[in-house]
Amino acid sequence: MTILAILQIVILILIVAGSVLAVWLKDLLASVIALAGSSLLLALQFYLLQAPDVAIAEAGVGAALTTAIFVLAIRKTQRKEEE
Amino acid sequence: MIVALPFAAAGLAMLGFILVCMVRLSVGPTAADRAVALDTINTLVVATMVLLGAAFDLVVLLDVALVYALLSYVGTLYIARYLERGLS
Repeated sequence: MTILAILQIVILILIVAGSVLAVWLKDLLASVIALAGSSLLLALQFYLLQAPDVAIAEAGVGAALTTAIFVLAIRKTQRKEEE
Repeated sequence: MIVALPFAAAGLAMLGFILVCMVRLSVGPTAADRAVALDTINTLVVATMVLLGAAFDLVVLLDVALVYALLSYVGTLYIARYLERGLS
């Protein structure tokens, strides 16, 4: 197994872990943080697959825009999920 | 393909550090812990991108790391401003 395959497998496991956290957490701000980490690692995966333009687009949308818009939406509504 | 193996091994070590930060992101009791874990993951991903750009021997890949280092700051800034109740 080459080291490239090991890198991709570790990144994919981390993406799955971040996505599960984003769904599982009750605090919506923590969920947004987990989603930002997951999209960050997705950009790293695009980078490893030799697609730097897609990685730049994913970084711009996932890290900056999505987090900012979700935080603004939580600010206007409520933070804790109701049971 | 990877041409410089030590850089790729260093990138793999960075992924191990990211794994430790993901543990803090999952068990962190407050949102501030998770925000700091996310910021550390941001920095580690930028370091990984630089190391893998050296491992692939492609100069183009360093632009992604540069853009990412600029943009990851914005997300952390928004979360921090929300935590300080200053986001209007």
